[in-house]
Amino acid sequence: MKKGLIVDDAAVMRMRLRDILSSKYEIAGEAENGRQAITMYRNHKPDFVTMDISMAEMNGMEALTGLIAEFPDAKVVMVSAVGQKAQVFEALGKGAKDFIIKPFEPERVLLAIERLFE
Amino acid sequence: MKAEYANPFITAAITTFQKELRVSLNRNSLGVKESPVPSKDVAIIIGVTGMVKGQVVYSMDDNVAFAVAKAMLPGKLPAELRKLTNSAVSELANIITGQASIILAGEKQKIDITPPAVFCGGASRIDFLSLQTICLSFLSEIGSFEINIALTEE
Repeated sequence: MKKGLIVDDAAVMRMRLRDILSSKYEIAGEAENGRQAITMYRNHKPDFVTMDISMAEMNGMEALTGLIAEFPDAKVVMVSAVGQKAQVFEALGKGAKDFIIKPFEPERVLLAIERLFE
Repeated sequence: MKAEYANPFITAAITTFQKELRVSLNRNSLGVKESPVPSKDVAIIIGVTGMVKGQVVYSMDDNVAFAVAKAMLPGKLPAELRKLTNSAVSELANIITGQASIILAGEKQKIDITPPAVFCGGASRIDFLSLQTICLSFLSEIGSFEINIALTEE
Protein backbone atom coordinates (compact mmCIF):
# COMPACT_ATOMS: atom_id res chain seq x y z
CA MET A 1 0.00 0.00 0.00
CA LYS A 2 1.37 3.43 -0.95
CA LYS A 3 1.84 5.80 1.96
CA GLY A 4 1.15 9.51 2.17
CA LEU A 5 2.10 12.49 4.31
CA ILE A 6 -0.60 15.12 4.98
CA VAL A 7 0.61 18.70 5.53
CA ASP A 8 -1.89 21.36 6.65
CA ASP A 9 -1.99 23.78 9.58
CA ALA A 10 -5.73 23.18 10.12
CA ALA A 11 -6.59 20.06 12.13
CA VAL A 12 -10.01 19.85 10.43
CA MET A 13 -8.40 19.71 7.01
CA ARG A 14 -5.85 17.09 8.06
CA MET A 15 -8.72 15.03 9.48
CA ARG A 16 -10.76 15.39 6.31
CA LEU A 17 -7.83 14.45 4.03
CA ARG A 18 -7.07 11.46 6.25
CA ASP A 19 -10.73 10.34 5.98
CA ILE A 20 -10.61 10.65 2.18
CA LEU A 21 -7.24 8.98 1.64
CA SER A 22 -7.12 6.28 4.30
CA SER A 23 -9.47 3.95 2.40
CA LYS A 24 -6.83 3.49 -0.30
CA TYR A 25 -3.55 4.60 1.22
CA GLU A 26 -1.58 4.32 4.45
CA ILE A 27 -1.16 7.68 6.17
CA ALA A 28 2.46 7.85 7.31
CA GLY A 29 1.97 11.07 9.25
CA GLU A 30 0.50 14.55 9.54
CA ALA A 31 2.52 17.77 9.67
CA GLU A 32 1.30 21.23 10.75
CA ASN A 33 3.88 23.28 8.86
CA GLY A 34 6.58 23.03 6.22
CA ARG A 35 9.44 22.45 8.64
CA GLN A 36 7.69 19.49 10.25
CA ALA A 37 6.85 18.19 6.78
CA ILE A 38 10.51 18.03 5.71
CA THR A 39 11.51 16.27 8.95
CA MET A 40 8.68 13.75 8.61
CA TYR A 41 9.50 13.16 4.95
CA ARG A 42 13.09 12.28 5.89
CA ASN A 43 11.84 9.88 8.59
CA HIS A 44 8.98 8.19 6.73
CA LYS A 45 9.95 8.50 3.03
CA PRO A 46 6.27 8.65 1.94
CA ASP A 47 5.20 7.89 -1.64
CA PHE A 48 3.26 11.16 -1.84
CA VAL A 49 2.60 14.40 0.03
CA THR A 50 -0.47 16.67 0.16
CA MET A 51 0.84 20.18 0.88
CA ASP A 52 -1.06 23.26 2.09
CA ILE A 53 0.54 26.66 1.32
CA SER A 54 -0.52 29.21 3.94
CA MET A 55 1.12 27.93 7.15
CA ALA A 56 3.11 29.53 9.98
CA GLU A 57 6.84 28.87 10.54
CA MET A 58 7.50 27.53 7.01
CA ASN A 59 4.87 27.81 4.28
CA GLY A 60 4.09 25.11 1.74
CA MET A 61 5.89 26.79 -1.16
CA GLU A 62 9.14 26.94 0.84
CA ALA A 63 8.67 23.35 1.99
CA LEU A 64 8.08 22.25 -1.62
CA THR A 65 11.34 23.91 -2.68
CA GLY A 66 13.21 22.23 0.20
CA LEU A 67 11.71 18.81 -0.45
CA ILE A 68 12.42 18.81 -4.19
CA ALA A 69 15.99 20.02 -3.57
CA GLU A 70 16.63 17.12 -1.18
CA PHE A 71 14.35 14.51 -2.80
CA PRO A 72 13.98 15.34 -6.52
CA ASP A 73 11.53 12.47 -7.05
CA ALA A 74 9.15 13.56 -4.25
CA LYS A 75 5.54 13.48 -5.41
CA VAL A 76 3.88 16.59 -3.95
CA VAL A 77 0.27 17.63 -4.59
CA MET A 78 -0.57 21.13 -3.40
CA VAL A 79 -3.94 21.42 -1.59
CA SER A 80 -4.56 25.06 -0.83
CA ALA A 81 -7.10 27.88 -0.71
CA VAL A 82 -4.42 30.16 -2.18
CA GLY A 83 -4.90 29.14 -5.78
CA GLN A 84 -4.32 32.21 -7.93
CA LYS A 85 -2.76 31.56 -11.32
CA ALA A 86 0.57 32.97 -10.18
CA GLN A 87 0.75 30.54 -7.26
CA VAL A 88 -0.40 27.54 -9.31
CA PHE A 89 2.30 28.20 -11.93
CA GLU A 90 4.91 28.83 -9.23
CA ALA A 91 4.15 25.52 -7.50
CA LEU A 92 4.12 23.50 -10.71
CA GLY A 93 7.36 25.23 -11.73
CA LYS A 94 8.96 24.23 -8.44
CA GLY A 95 8.07 20.57 -9.01
CA ALA A 96 4.56 20.02 -7.61
CA LYS A 97 2.67 17.35 -9.57
CA ASP A 98 -0.82 18.84 -9.18
CA PHE A 99 -2.65 21.71 -7.52
CA ILE A 100 -6.03 21.25 -5.79
CA ILE A 101 -7.87 24.41 -4.80
CA LYS A 102 -9.99 24.36 -1.62
CA PRO A 103 -12.89 23.82 -1.31
CA PHE A 104 -12.56 20.45 -3.05
CA GLU A 105 -14.58 17.32 -3.65
CA PRO A 106 -13.10 14.06 -2.26
CA GLU A 107 -13.02 12.55 -5.76
CA ARG A 108 -10.68 15.31 -6.94
CA VAL A 109 -8.15 14.41 -4.23
CA LEU A 110 -8.31 10.67 -4.93
CA LEU A 111 -7.93 11.27 -8.67
CA ALA A 112 -4.87 13.47 -8.15
CA ILE A 113 -3.15 10.81 -6.03
CA GLU A 114 -4.08 7.96 -8.39
CA ARG A 115 -2.55 9.88 -11.31
CA LEU A 116 0.79 10.07 -9.48
CA PHE A 117 1.27 6.32 -9.85
CA GLU A 118 -0.01 5.74 -13.38
CA MET B 1 -11.16 51.41 -0.02
CA LYS B 2 -12.86 50.36 -3.21
CA ALA B 3 -16.46 49.14 -3.05
CA GLU B 4 -15.68 46.54 -5.70
CA TYR B 5 -13.65 44.58 -3.11
CA ALA B 6 -16.98 43.49 -1.59
CA ASN B 7 -18.28 41.35 -4.46
CA PRO B 8 -15.45 38.78 -4.52
CA PHE B 9 -15.95 38.18 -0.78
CA ILE B 10 -19.73 37.87 -1.16
CA THR B 11 -19.32 35.32 -3.95
CA ALA B 12 -16.57 33.44 -2.07
CA ALA B 13 -18.55 33.31 1.20
CA ILE B 14 -21.75 32.04 -0.40
CA THR B 15 -19.85 29.40 -2.45
CA THR B 16 -17.72 28.24 0.48
CA PHE B 17 -20.68 27.91 2.88
CA GLN B 18 -22.49 25.85 0.27
CA LYS B 19 -19.57 23.58 -0.59
CA GLU B 20 -17.97 23.17 2.83
CA LEU B 21 -20.99 23.32 5.13
CA ARG B 22 -23.96 22.60 2.82
CA VAL B 23 -25.52 25.76 4.26
CA SER B 24 -27.18 28.56 2.26
CA LEU B 25 -25.83 31.99 3.12
CA ASN B 26 -27.92 35.08 2.41
CA ARG B 27 -26.72 38.67 2.32
CA ASN B 28 -28.19 40.84 5.03
CA SER B 29 -26.53 44.26 4.94
CA LEU B 30 -23.50 46.19 3.77
CA GLY B 31 -22.01 49.09 5.75
CA VAL B 32 -18.89 51.20 5.95
CA LYS B 33 -16.87 51.86 9.13
CA GLU B 34 -13.46 53.19 10.17
CA SER B 35 -11.74 49.93 11.14
CA PRO B 36 -12.36 46.17 10.86
CA VAL B 37 -13.28 45.70 14.55
CA PRO B 38 -15.58 42.66 14.76
CA SER B 39 -18.98 42.84 16.46
CA LYS B 40 -19.37 39.21 17.57
CA ASP B 41 -17.73 36.81 20.09
CA VAL B 42 -15.36 34.95 17.76
CA ALA B 43 -13.01 36.81 15.42
CA ILE B 44 -10.74 35.35 12.76
CA ILE B 45 -8.11 37.73 11.43
CA ILE B 46 -6.29 37.24 8.13
CA GLY B 47 -3.58 39.60 6.88
CA VAL B 48 -3.35 40.36 3.17
CA THR B 49 -0.32 41.52 1.14
CA GLY B 50 0.53 41.89 -2.54
CA MET B 51 -1.76 43.59 -5.06
CA VAL B 52 -3.95 44.71 -2.12
CA LYS B 53 -2.90 45.06 1.51
CA GLY B 54 -4.70 45.08 4.84
CA GLN B 55 -6.84 42.84 7.02
CA VAL B 56 -9.97 40.78 6.62
CA VAL B 57 -11.74 40.04 9.90
CA TYR B 58 -14.46 37.39 10.05
CA SER B 59 -16.80 37.33 13.03
CA MET B 60 -19.57 35.14 14.42
CA ASP B 61 -21.12 34.15 17.75
CA ASP B 62 -19.88 31.10 19.73
CA ASN B 63 -22.89 28.98 18.81
CA VAL B 64 -22.41 29.73 15.11
CA ALA B 65 -18.72 28.77 15.35
CA PHE B 66 -19.74 25.44 16.91
CA ALA B 67 -22.33 24.93 14.16
CA VAL B 68 -19.62 25.54 11.54
CA ALA B 69 -17.47 22.80 13.09
CA LYS B 70 -20.47 20.46 13.25
CA ALA B 71 -21.31 21.05 9.59
CA MET B 72 -17.68 20.70 8.53
CA LEU B 73 -17.17 17.46 10.48
CA PRO B 74 -20.43 15.52 10.39
CA GLY B 75 -20.53 12.52 12.71
CA LYS B 76 -18.05 13.84 15.29
CA LEU B 77 -19.06 13.91 18.95
CA PRO B 78 -19.78 17.29 20.63
CA ALA B 79 -16.70 17.08 22.90
CA GLU B 80 -14.44 16.52 19.89
CA LEU B 81 -16.18 19.28 17.92
CA ARG B 82 -15.56 21.77 20.74
CA LYS B 83 -11.81 21.10 20.49
CA LEU B 84 -11.91 21.57 16.72
CA THR B 85 -14.09 24.69 16.55
CA ASN B 86 -11.19 27.15 16.23
CA SER B 87 -9.60 25.04 13.52
CA ALA B 88 -12.92 24.83 11.63
CA VAL B 89 -13.63 28.56 11.63
CA SER B 90 -9.98 29.30 10.74
CA GLU B 91 -10.19 27.03 7.74
CA LEU B 92 -13.54 28.50 6.69
CA ALA B 93 -12.02 32.02 6.78
CA ASN B 94 -8.89 30.80 4.99
CA ILE B 95 -10.92 29.28 2.15
CA ILE B 96 -13.19 32.33 1.74
CA THR B 97 -10.17 34.67 1.65
CA GLY B 98 -8.38 32.37 -0.79
CA GLN B 99 -11.39 32.22 -3.11
CA ALA B 100 -11.89 36.00 -2.97
CA SER B 101 -8.16 36.50 -3.69
CA ILE B 102 -8.41 34.37 -6.83
CA ILE B 103 -11.17 36.67 -8.13
CA LEU B 104 -9.40 39.89 -7.06
CA ALA B 105 -5.99 38.90 -8.43
CA GLY B 106 -7.34 37.96 -11.86
CA GLU B 107 -4.91 36.68 -14.45
CA LYS B 108 -1.67 38.46 -13.63
CA GLN B 109 -1.63 39.82 -10.09
CA LYS B 110 -0.66 38.06 -6.87
CA ILE B 111 -2.15 38.28 -3.39
CA ASP B 112 -0.67 36.51 -0.34
CA ILE B 113 -2.63 35.78 2.82
CA THR B 114 -1.37 35.01 6.33
CA PRO B 115 -2.50 31.98 8.34
CA PRO B 116 -5.70 32.87 10.26
CA ALA B 117 -5.52 34.00 13.88
CA VAL B 118 -8.59 33.22 16.03
CA PHE B 119 -9.69 35.30 19.02
CA CYS B 120 -12.58 34.31 21.27
CA GLY B 121 -14.11 37.12 23.28
CA GLY B 122 -10.86 39.11 23.40
CA ALA B 123 -10.87 40.90 20.10
CA SER B 124 -11.39 44.26 21.85
CA ARG B 125 -7.77 44.08 23.05
CA ILE B 126 -6.36 43.79 19.54
CA ASP B 127 -4.98 46.73 17.56
CA PHE B 128 -6.91 46.65 14.34
CA LEU B 129 -5.89 48.69 11.32
CA SER B 130 -7.31 52.16 11.13
CA LEU B 131 -8.56 51.77 7.61
CA GLN B 132 -11.93 52.35 6.00
CA THR B 133 -13.73 49.03 6.14
CA ILE B 134 -16.61 47.43 4.28
CA CYS B 135 -18.72 45.39 6.70
CA LEU B 136 -20.77 42.62 5.10
CA SER B 137 -23.31 40.74 7.16
CA PHE B 138 -25.00 37.49 6.21
CA LEU B 139 -27.82 35.34 7.57
CA SER B 140 -28.10 31.56 7.43
CA GLU B 141 -29.91 28.68 9.11
CA ILE B 142 -26.96 28.30 11.54
CA GLY B 143 -26.92 32.01 12.46
CA SER B 144 -25.35 35.27 11.34
CA PHE B 145 -21.86 35.81 9.98
CA GLU B 146 -19.86 38.99 9.37
CA ILE B 147 -16.92 39.90 7.12
CA ASN B 148 -14.97 43.13 7.69
CA ILE B 149 -12.84 43.99 4.66
CA ALA B 150 -10.10 46.60 5.24
CA LEU B 151 -8.00 46.57 2.08
CA THR B 152 -6.12 49.19 0.14
CA GLU B 153 -3.91 49.32 -2.95
CA GLU B 154 -1.69 52.00 -1.34
